[in-house]
Amino acid sequence: MVEPSVISNPDTNPNASRKKRRKIGSDYPNGAAAEPCGNRWRTETEQQIYSSKLVDALRHLRRPDSADAAVRTVRDAADRVLAVSAKGRTRWSRAILARRLSLRLSQIRKKHKRAARPDAGLKKPAVQKKLPPLQRKVRALSRLVPGCQKLSLPNLLEETTDYIAALEMQVKAMAYITGILNGVPAAAAAGGGSLAD
Amino acid sequence: MGFGLDEIHDLISGPTQTGSSSFTALLELPQPQAVELLVNEDFPSNHLPPPIFPSNNGLIDRATKFSVFASSHNSPESNAILSISSPMKPDVVKQEPLGSDSHPKSSSPTVSNQSLKSGKRKEKERKVKESNKKSKKLVADGGEKLPYVHVRARRGQATDSHSLAERARREKINARMKLLQELVPGCNKISGTATVLEEIINHVEALQRQVEFLSMRLAAVNPRTDFNFDALLAAESGLSIDNGYMGMFSPSILPEGQINGSRQVQYQQLWHSNELHQPVWAREENNPNFITPGNSLLSYGSSANSGKSTVQ
Repeated sequence: MVEPSVISNPDTNPNASRKKRRKIGSDYPNGAAAEPCGNRWRTETEQQIYSSKLVDALRHLRRPDSADAAVRTVRDAADRVLAVSAKGRTRWSRAILARRLSLRLSQIRKKHKRAARPDAGLKKPAVQKKLPPLQRKVRALSRLVPGCQKLSLPNLLEETTDYIAALEMQVKAMAYITGILNGVPAAAAAGGGSLAD
Repeated sequence: MGFGLDEIHDLISGPTQTGSSSFTALLELPQPQAVELLVNEDFPSNHLPPPIFPSNNGLIDRATKFSVFASSHNSPESNAILSISSPMKPDVVKQEPLGSDSHPKSSSPTVSNQSLKSGKRKEKERKVKESNKKSKKLVADGGEKLPYVHVRARRGQATDSHSLAERARREKINARMKLLQELVPGCNKISGTATVLEEIINHVEALQRQVEFLSMRLAAVNPRTDFNFDALLAAESGLSIDNGYMGMFSPSILPEGQINGSRQVQYQQLWHSNELHQPVWAREENNPNFITPGNSLLSYGSSANSGKSTVQ
């Protein structure tokens, strides 16, 4: 009687404890390291991972109709790959990944709203609140970083830190890829290739 | 934890050194009891050297926290966190908030690391990190994060909950701003949150613009990437491509890309790329008409761009 329960318990217990430990473990790095201040974006491996994924994504891009659409699709692909590389730990990465889904929904919603409330555009900005300049800057920053519209200041700053580091890596990787595609030896040389002059 | 005892002595004897005016106030605990236990050397035999109080879990917390506290008490603005209020609750959980927020970075990471590790070893307890909020409440729970942070007021500062909370919040924000300042170039010299924020905003905008620009270039180059990209990469790393030619190539792209439509950029790119392909792929062959191999290579790709056809 006791034995089966003992046997079955270890079955569930390790899982439970593992889950629990994993949860705690994942909580700890998040709490303690607090999204490691952009260090993980600076590693060479991260850039390589991103570059390869980006190249892959670019290869599978749908052929765009116009020139602007081409730029937009490339940009979206680059951002998406960046968000994927973030492994979903940051808010902005999740927001970017959810952008595609929410874009359609918001368009539909806006259409419905405009149909329902035709007088929405006539509303005058009666009360123009001049928030203190600091607040305004914070709002501006929150608009820049995707998905951080209504975030508290310390979290917003945290997201911004990670976002800036990620962006810098993105720029580096994209410049490298562009250089390679254009056949510019300097880019490859900068990236570590060994090209003879 | 050998340093513990001396530090604790200092602590107990001179609370002012620690920089906390509300040291004893926050300690609802029988402070003298703890002191006695710590200081008194003729313990009952079952009591071990001070840092370990096996009899009372609350004191165990305190002891470990003392060690945390002790290591950090040298820095004038260190604030240890003692989760207090109810010493008798055995499974007291303190929240461990964030990292080395409000502290000199040298001491706090080690402290926090220590505290974290020891917290992990304790079954359900967590080490309290250093922060500034007043201790509001203790929730007895096992291994879960508390909504409250336990803090202590610094010396000479107001101790009501609002200012403490405000101060803690400010500390967090300032710590994050410092990190950002290091990240954004040129922000180290600027003082003042507003200007730093401005710089940060400008930097983010600049980076986003750069990404946009690069994606434009990539989009222009993209039609030809369908074919033979791996070969291109391999070729790129292994070959030496004519430098002067390339030098002519890229600067011409930049102004074009910005001024004219990207359609023209595409044409230019393709035209140049044809000449590029010649050295890379058809080096041996002497092609009088360099368009032909270029065309064949271009049409290899699935995306038969209309631009390519007009290049012919």
